[in-house]
Amino acid sequence: MTASAPPFRRVLVANRGEIAVRIIRACHEMNMEAVAVYSDVDADAMHVRLADLAVRLGPAPPAESYLRIDAIVAAARTTGADAIHPGYGFLSERAVFARAVEAAGLVFIGPPASVIDALGDKLHARRTAASVGVDAVPGTLEAVPVDRPDEVAAIVAEAERIGFPLLVKAAAGGGGRGMRRVVRAADLPAALAAGSAEAASAFGDGAVYLEREIRPARHIEVQLLGDTAGTIVAIGERDCSIQRRHQKLVEEAPAPGLAVQERRRLHELAVRVATAAGLRNAATAEFLRAPDGTFFFLEVNTRLQVEHGVTELVSGLDIVAEQFRLAAGEPLSDAALAAGERAADPDGHAIEVRLAAEDPARDFAPGPGRIRQWVMPGGPGVRVDSAFAADERVPPDYDNLVAKIMVHAPNRDAAIDRLRRALDETEIAGIQTTLPFHRFVARHEGFRAGDVSIDWVAERWDGPGDRARFLAAAGGAARAAAEPIVSVIGAGGVPARDVPAGGPGAVATNVSARSAWGTAARDDATDRWPR
Amino acid sequence: MTRLRVTDRTTGEPLDELEPAAEGTARPASRGERPIVIRAAPGPGARGRIPFEVVVGGWRFELEVEDAERAELRQRATAGRAAVLHDGPTEVRAIIPGRVVSVAVAAGDAVAIGQRLLAVEAMKMENELRAPRDGTIERVAVSIGQTVELGDPLVVIR
Repeated sequence: MTASAPPFRRVLVANRGEIAVRIIRACHEMNMEAVAVYSDVDADAMHVRLADLAVRLGPAPPAESYLRIDAIVAAARTTGADAIHPGYGFLSERAVFARAVEAAGLVFIGPPASVIDALGDKLHARRTAASVGVDAVPGTLEAVPVDRPDEVAAIVAEAERIGFPLLVKAAAGGGGRGMRRVVRAADLPAALAAGSAEAASAFGDGAVYLEREIRPARHIEVQLLGDTAGTIVAIGERDCSIQRRHQKLVEEAPAPGLAVQERRRLHELAVRVATAAGLRNAATAEFLRAPDGTFFFLEVNTRLQVEHGVTELVSGLDIVAEQFRLAAGEPLSDAALAAGERAADPDGHAIEVRLAAEDPARDFAPGPGRIRQWVMPGGPGVRVDSAFAADERVPPDYDNLVAKIMVHAPNRDAAIDRLRRALDETEIAGIQTTLPFHRFVARHEGFRAGDVSIDWVAERWDGPGDRARFLAAAGGAARAAAEPIVSVIGAGGVPARDVPAGGPGAVATNVSARSAWGTAARDDATDRWPR
Repeated sequence: MTRLRVTDRTTGEPLDELEPAAEGTARPASRGERPIVIRAAPGPGARGRIPFEVVVGGWRFELEVEDAERAELRQRATAGRAAVLHDGPTEVRAIIPGRVVSVAVAAGDAVAIGQRLLAVEAMKMENELRAPRDGTIERVAVSIGQTVELGDPLVVIR
């Protein structure tokens, strides 16, 4: 068998970090060249090192680099790229970017600009779902007239009909921006004003709507692929209920505890909405599952998701490769159609944890810094998607995801055992990450029982308490490491740079012994963990 | 053997209750709990204090070890200085590099401990800074949209 012809010759990847690396890998496997773009702080980053060509965009701030449509399109033209993959985040869901790419005679790897536009407006997406009989979360289908004092009574009456507590949400929103939880009617006008103002400043669009709060809820989403002939298949669902601040921390496929027919029904709802929206390429339809098993449509993300890997593991499909073929106008591949057939009964179970540079003892506060030690897990059934290595700096300018650790096993219990094993092998120093939280999840009986909801983290995680359990052991290790140093230099002296660190029971990487002592000290000043 | 004291650099608190087995002999750590110990760069004026970063159970600790007698002397001196400075102004500094997205106070405002002062956005997230103590705002050093670096003064409370 000969390899099929690559769908494109050269692809520009308009992103950074692990997702740029993931896409470049797909390019290389498909015999396509990859062009990286980078900001000044990323000049030596892994995605730049792996690419065949690289073009500088500008300084670190996203607005001056990864969000510059003009510079990215120009980079594609000067390097002779014939397609642009946007990854996730940055410009991936900006219809104006997709249009600029097409206007330059290049192929945008993703849904058409008109679909990005239509589904980016959550109210439009809710109306689209309603038009094909798919229930969205109960609420309004039009923007609330926040600037009409004469409408206040009507708005409150509408809110009473929807029921409290409810959520004020931004039509253009995402990531919880512009969102307000309202418990009493009296608080509604203020919440509408505040939510609208926040949405206007974050998205340039102050439109807000009302949605009933579903609680406890599970967040379950469906991976979709569609070709230019209008055929759309669901490749399977993912449960992403374990979140903090509306950002996912753990994702798994398939969703635990669902019967096969329940999965089929959910996939069918997603395909119905996507078909009505004219979806092409890859996208994800998000739903909430109420305690009684009802699915409510939430929104469609018209891009590759961070957590697409777990679906790849249980479907055997390379979603990024499919995106390229679909964007080149090919029909859904036999592999994709077969994966669609098996979507409700996938191959085993996969779990992903998002290792982020955050302090899980301080409400997951982000913290950039330099990675001093970096050991990622391996072995059977483990996949790590990351763009970092030891001694690299996690810049404060971008998303704080440092690695996605994925495991695949024949069933969910075996996948959890494998996750626990993989996380026990993982070692990171220099920055605080969410690793302790993920280890907690992998050992939690409730998680193993499939008892997850979007309130899981708030209800079960005691970060400071978990951290405190390790303080004494840390102190003991530091003291053991100090003993030989003190014995050499004396109690009152300054530690010499060539005295090896470490001691009994301790593994030491002697940072201070490196020749770049001054650099290390300077880094320590700039990379100090925020207090 | 020299008496040593381990201090948590983030809180300044001494750690008195150390696991006995950790002193001297190697202890077989359970899986995932093997401590990683890294010598850190000493801070200014840190003579005699040996700083370490220790990661155990995925948690990162900044600790320093010094001769216990020295530590006690130093602590007494610091306590005296802190008492003198107690009524002085408190500078609230940026705990993370980012962009100021909101400022909730102005010079002259009275603030209570825990009151929201401003918010800095970094890595897609908003981080609220709250008043470390009661007082009056003497100065707000930043404005909305401004980019701040770690340690930049933001607000002075008198």
